[in-house]
Amino acid sequence: MSDQKIERTANPAMPSPTAAPAAAQKHRVDPLAIIVRFQSLIGLVLVAIGGVIFSPRRHGEILFLNPDNIANIVRAVSETGIIAIGMTFVIITAGIDLSVGAVLGLSAVVTATMMISGGFGLIPTILAVLAMGVVFGIVQGTISTRFRLEPFIVTLAGLQAARGLALIVSGNQYINISYGDGPGLAPPVFAVLGERLFGNTVPVATIVFIIFAAIATLVLNTTRFGRYVYAVGGNERAARISGVPVSMVKISVYAITGFASALAGIVHAGQFNFGSANDGMGYELTAIAAVVIGGTSLFGGAGSMVGTVAGTIMLGALANILQLNNITPATQLLATAAIIVLAAVLQSLVRRREGLGR
Amino acid sequence: MSAPLLSVTGAVKRFGGVQALRGVDFDLKAGEIHALLGENGAGKSTLMNLLSGVHTPDEGEIRIDGKPVTFSNPREAQAAGIATIFQELDLVPSLDVAANLFLGRELMRPGGLLDVPAMRREASKRLQAIELAIDPARLVADLSIGQRQVVAIVKALSYASRVLIMDEPTAALTVGEVERLFDIMRKLAATGVGIVYISHRLEEVPDIADRVTVMRDGRVAGITEPHAPQAELVRLLVGRPLDELYPGRAKSAGKTLLRLKDASFKLARESAGWQPPSGISLEVRQGEIVGLAGIMGAGRTELLSALYGTGLAGRWQGEVAVDGRPVKLESINAARKAGIAFVTDDRRGSGLMLRMAVGLNLVMSVIRRISPAGLMSARRQAEAVRQSFGQFDIRPKNPDIAVGALSGGNQQKVVLAKEILGNPRLLLLDEPTRGVDVGAKGEIYARLRALAAQGLGILVASSEMPELIGLCDRIVVLRQGRNVAEFNGGVDEHTVLAAANGREA
Repeated sequence: MSDQKIERTANPAMPSPTAAPAAAQKHRVDPLAIIVRFQSLIGLVLVAIGGVIFSPRRHGEILFLNPDNIANIVRAVSETGIIAIGMTFVIITAGIDLSVGAVLGLSAVVTATMMISGGFGLIPTILAVLAMGVVFGIVQGTISTRFRLEPFIVTLAGLQAARGLALIVSGNQYINISYGDGPGLAPPVFAVLGERLFGNTVPVATIVFIIFAAIATLVLNTTRFGRYVYAVGGNERAARISGVPVSMVKISVYAITGFASALAGIVHAGQFNFGSANDGMGYELTAIAAVVIGGTSLFGGAGSMVGTVAGTIMLGALANILQLNNITPATQLLATAAIIVLAAVLQSLVRRREGLGR
Repeated sequence: MSAPLLSVTGAVKRFGGVQALRGVDFDLKAGEIHALLGENGAGKSTLMNLLSGVHTPDEGEIRIDGKPVTFSNPREAQAAGIATIFQELDLVPSLDVAANLFLGRELMRPGGLLDVPAMRREASKRLQAIELAIDPARLVADLSIGQRQVVAIVKALSYASRVLIMDEPTAALTVGEVERLFDIMRKLAATGVGIVYISHRLEEVPDIADRVTVMRDGRVAGITEPHAPQAELVRLLVGRPLDELYPGRAKSAGKTLLRLKDASFKLARESAGWQPPSGISLEVRQGEIVGLAGIMGAGRTELLSALYGTGLAGRWQGEVAVDGRPVKLESINAARKAGIAFVTDDRRGSGLMLRMAVGLNLVMSVIRRISPAGLMSARRQAEAVRQSFGQFDIRPKNPDIAVGALSGGNQQKVVLAKEILGNPRLLLLDEPTRGVDVGAKGEIYARLRALAAQGLGILVASSEMPELIGLCDRIVVLRQGRNVAEFNGGVDEHTVLAAANGREA
């Protein structure tokens, strides 16, 4: 290239002896970094192996591997999984969204109310609820960027607001969903969310989760927007100087968590046939845990969707093994705590090895 | 002759497979200021860490007053009288000066309450001992970098008082602050303190050092007296003669790219310490490198950030034209549309995504171009990265490692290459070689000149006078946000300094 020619003539044998020894050193691949990169997949495999070993058996059959049991695991995690996928975008931008569980509750309540009391059809209800989630996220993102508030504070307020709205809409009652044709009844097809397809094997909720995960993976890895998300989390000021529309990106990721929470709320209403203002309580923490175990850094700029999916399923599988062995929920919580700390410690070790500070 | 205050003989230090020191001899006399020079990776930091007890040598010996000593941690080095001031000053910005000086050794009243008045009195006494009038009740956050540096020195000397090791103390200081710091160092040396002074800035050496040791590749490349010619120092530093650190000048300049005529930047809100451009007239033409000189606070950085829309909110008044067309330049987008690119003086804070790969950083300013229809194109990204690696000798030649793991010089090349990829017509550079070693500096200068020869206009602000004089075709001197003088490149330093300070030459 002509550029290089000019450099050579203008720059006769400019020495750069400093980098040479460093080069040999830096090309080595740190095994710890590889472990962390795939930590949630490795964790998932380990948990699965543990599941097989410690699974109770009936007539020689390993209960953990029973198709019904596996279907249960992936069904149970699909709602928090959908939320965790949205949360991954937010956390890669170094943000956080605490409102997700509450928005799920609000969405479940609105879904039930619109179909039962409102007499709306299935499609208008779903579209309206998804739009509501997106708007909720846009409002949070806009407040956070416009007034330069910590997303932690804004979404903490959002959590309270969504729960409050859900209480108002539901009148603090369970809104039961009955199926049938005519006013006050939901179309029977909505109940498919609680069923399984493909010869009664794959739960529909899980299919929604997997499709959403696939789309999110493509968006994060192959689109300009995805790259912007990493850039904003990597260094917001540098991104701004490079011409990245930082505020737009930030508002968008909260719109995505809003959408994900609404989607999870619809799935929730369909699975349980009711909407309640208390639905999704604490889901935000499960989702954050799944994202962190999946290797996404709370400092922003690094993380993967595959990791989040693996982290989500791993937490579900772990809970399942413990349940199969009749181990108390208390122990379950302690085990989750240990895994979160382990994941965080591994990441911190890698950062220090790379000489990138704390 | 009595034994030197501090001596090191045959020091060897390995880290894994890397031999950082390969047998280093070094000595320091009482009352001496001994400059330690070396490029990044030459081993000067490792040597410093041995002396301050951070690391222990694998082989070799450290002696104080001729008696062998070993330090297994920094506390033991301090107890032996060696104080070290690292580049990142270990001060707590949210505490006041006195609290910082007594951090961890607070003076107490009976009953366990802090004796604040006693600490302030004592702090005052110590600061006055080196004739520095800082109110010990002031927050460190409110002090200038130069004042902080002095507080750090006073703090270090209160731990240990025979040997003072200073790691690049002048890196962030203005010319005036450097002179004050040198005064203080001379006073300390006169009381018998031995000072090891580590620096990148060759030009400071004759001003301050009594002796110079140059390190290269983990060895001592030479010991010389401070008035040795710069060419000799550079030869020792990089291991071969460096005919010209600076490339030639522009043969001819093209049409005017940037034109400011009586231009001022009206801030939406006044801000103390931010000197907006006020009544600036200057031009940058194609193929030209124009320098901005001025003392700290003259408004160099502020002019660049106002042009790029990264500074405080406000708007331009007077004539601001790019390519002969009047422009508003009120946002980063407007500046980029006008073909302006900007490289900040703070590459770690606002230039790079440190934990992300070199390649990802390089394409950051051209994401739009490499993502047709919103989808990232791996091919276009690889092409862009290849182009950057072709233009800049970034080491290691691996786009997949985290940019934070690179040396300062290579990081700076990445920041520059990133902006060049966007094909700007006008490049704004703020302190383009801060914390960059001599070899990489020369490379960056040559590259900038080559880019200018292709028609780029470059406006560069720098606090390093030799850099402006050596690199630029013209130098515009700013004072209080206004251009007060203009010189051609190669002008002598005192003339520029005089203009910057508002004195006759």
